[in-house]
Amino acid sequence: MIDYNAMSDADFRRQVRQFFETEYPEELRNLSHRPKFAEIEHWHRKLHAKGWVAPAWPAEFGGMGLNAAKLLFFYEEQQRWGVVRGRDMGVQMVGPLIIKFGTDAQKAYWLPRILSCEDIWCQGYSEPGAGSDLANLRTNAVIEGNEFVINGQKIWTTMAHDSTHIFMLVRTDPKAPKKQQGISFILVPMDQPGVEVRTITTLAGETEFCEVFFDDARTPCENLVGELNKGWTMAKSLLSFERVFIGAPNLAQNALGQLETYARGAGRFDDPVFCDRFAEVALDVEDHAALYARFADQLKRSEPLGADVSMLKIWVTETFQKITELMIEAAGPDGGTLGPLQVGNVGLDVLAVFYKARPTTIYGGSNEIQRNILSKAVLGLPG
Amino acid sequence: MINAAHHDHDDLRLLRESVRTLLERAGGVARARKIRDEDGGWDAPVMTELAKAGVFGAAVPEEAGGLGMGLAAAGIIAEEVGRVIAPEPVVASVGLAIGLLRRLCPEHALLTEALAGTTVLATAWQERDAKGFSDTLSSRFENGALTGTKSWVAGVAAASGILVVAEAGGGPALALVEPGGKGVSIDKRRQSDGSILAELHLSGAPTELLAEGPVVAKALEAAVSDTTVLTAAELVGVSAKALEITLDYIKTREQFDKPIGSFQVIQHRAVDMHVMQEVAEASVRDALGLMDATEAPRLRARQASRAKARACTTARKITREAIQLHGAVGYTDEFDIGLYLNRALVLSAWLGDDVYHRRLWLNARNAEEAAE
Repeated sequence: MIDYNAMSDADFRRQVRQFFETEYPEELRNLSHRPKFAEIEHWHRKLHAKGWVAPAWPAEFGGMGLNAAKLLFFYEEQQRWGVVRGRDMGVQMVGPLIIKFGTDAQKAYWLPRILSCEDIWCQGYSEPGAGSDLANLRTNAVIEGNEFVINGQKIWTTMAHDSTHIFMLVRTDPKAPKKQQGISFILVPMDQPGVEVRTITTLAGETEFCEVFFDDARTPCENLVGELNKGWTMAKSLLSFERVFIGAPNLAQNALGQLETYARGAGRFDDPVFCDRFAEVALDVEDHAALYARFADQLKRSEPLGADVSMLKIWVTETFQKITELMIEAAGPDGGTLGPLQVGNVGLDVLAVFYKARPTTIYGGSNEIQRNILSKAVLGLPG
Repeated sequence: MINAAHHDHDDLRLLRESVRTLLERAGGVARARKIRDEDGGWDAPVMTELAKAGVFGAAVPEEAGGLGMGLAAAGIIAEEVGRVIAPEPVVASVGLAIGLLRRLCPEHALLTEALAGTTVLATAWQERDAKGFSDTLSSRFENGALTGTKSWVAGVAAASGILVVAEAGGGPALALVEPGGKGVSIDKRRQSDGSILAELHLSGAPTELLAEGPVVAKALEAAVSDTTVLTAAELVGVSAKALEITLDYIKTREQFDKPIGSFQVIQHRAVDMHVMQEVAEASVRDALGLMDATEAPRLRARQASRAKARACTTARKITREAIQLHGAVGYTDEFDIGLYLNRALVLSAWLGDDVYHRRLWLNARNAEEAAE
């Protein structure tokens, strides 16, 4: 087993960079959509053979065991090379939860299957009527014999149509005094008669999100992770991680690079008004990176992140949207055209990037929710 | 919790605390108001106290008589100056006068006096043309005397000497004139914060030549970059304090039987101000650090412009929102919040606003990329 943390930062970075540059398939660089597993299976096998599927997991469970600093380098290199965010809900979300709260049997059974992608996971949190107000969920699970029997509906379930399993929050005690109590975290196989998946077509014309219906669907009681009715705190521990992840600079940085290439090709830098607006968003990206580095340093010193991490998500997603809006402006009369716009030998799908930016201020806790968090937890504003 | 001090290293934290204590003891923001209502000058004793605390030499290398702590330390000082709107020309002295002397004539007694706070020097380097700052010098140094007009001279109110950059034939020269001397007339223009920004008219003013030739141009470029980034740091201090005052106000001011800070629309605006402020702090401190790490003029100028653009945008937004969130009292002179708006106006305009610096930044960025 390799101790990556013992390597110098420079050596580690070099090794990671070299692997991506030589092994990552060119046609998968900077994909504009969330791929189905079949599309990236070949890459996943390579990553799996290398033992690099789960950089943050402890080595004893098949991860790379990277400390926070090395982990950030790993992600930075991934982003720099435009490596796809694969079908990683298992690795990023349910795996860490099983490692932290699961039984030995659960760890032994589920973790290897996550790494090999034998099981492909999606996240069942949101429900109609319970989006940002996550604890307001109605999907319930009743214990019958050795099984949970599940009824209800999840929505905005990313890539459910390409998943074999769903990890979900369900109400197991409807009489609990607070809505955050009485929620449990369970693992459910999707290949059964009581589970129906319907795709939702997005504004962009893609099918990334789904609705998932549960009609007497079943899962063994041993698929409960953690204690019964204690799922809320566990799920919340995942959300703070998600917030750092979606506060990272990569989406905005990539879009800025695309905007610049396109605008140069289209001669837009001759226009001083465009130049000013470009400089504005470019500085928004650069200055976000300075703020992000402050949080990254905190992680590298192994200090816990506070609620103020929400500001990264607000800033970077809103900057991302500003950039995509400037792209549309730069496209002028072609700004409503679907598909790649060709400028010289460069093609840019302006609308694909624009659409991609829209949900970023909604998912992972809408930016309004992030503002509520900052207002209460950081600024200490009343009521 | 919302305290700029929590991201500093230990030695910088100590420096910040000592400057903050000193300025608070001297009278805090009340002093800014008092001096504004008098003559728009400053307190000589405070200048001396700041000097004793090492403020003027913090960024000066040890071999030139300073503390060698770099621009990062000077930035901390500038933030503290901004927080209480201290009227002393700290940034202009540190960035321009001392910045030029230590690069061009480190042996001269003027530098020692400036570091000790016993002499305060203003620096006249800019000139005006139809589009704003002129790129060329029309003022002349000839036969030991200066002729011409210099614009936007800060810190002239109680200065004992003025450093002048003028064309000497083979390049620029740096020379010293006395404010009350022969051939020197000063047209004092009052700024919104009560300070003075002067036009300096020179007609054969006798002068002491301090340096000349391309070294002057090089030193000036470096000093202007330093002053620009330090002004950005001062603005960060201005907006930080304006935000704190506003947050305190909305937590206590009641309307409809509730503190106005409990209304979501107010909360979200306060959060946006806070996020802007955090970005500005991160950006300016990043720029200071990067400038400490390089001597390359273009890289330093680019970082200075980045910092000034960010700080201007942030201070403008925060000080104006602060007035709005204070409601009608925010529009009165009696409340301190207006002092911050007025200071932000002055510091934003001085050395170029955000639009100007975004243009410089983009040009520098493009030039670097073309050179790669």
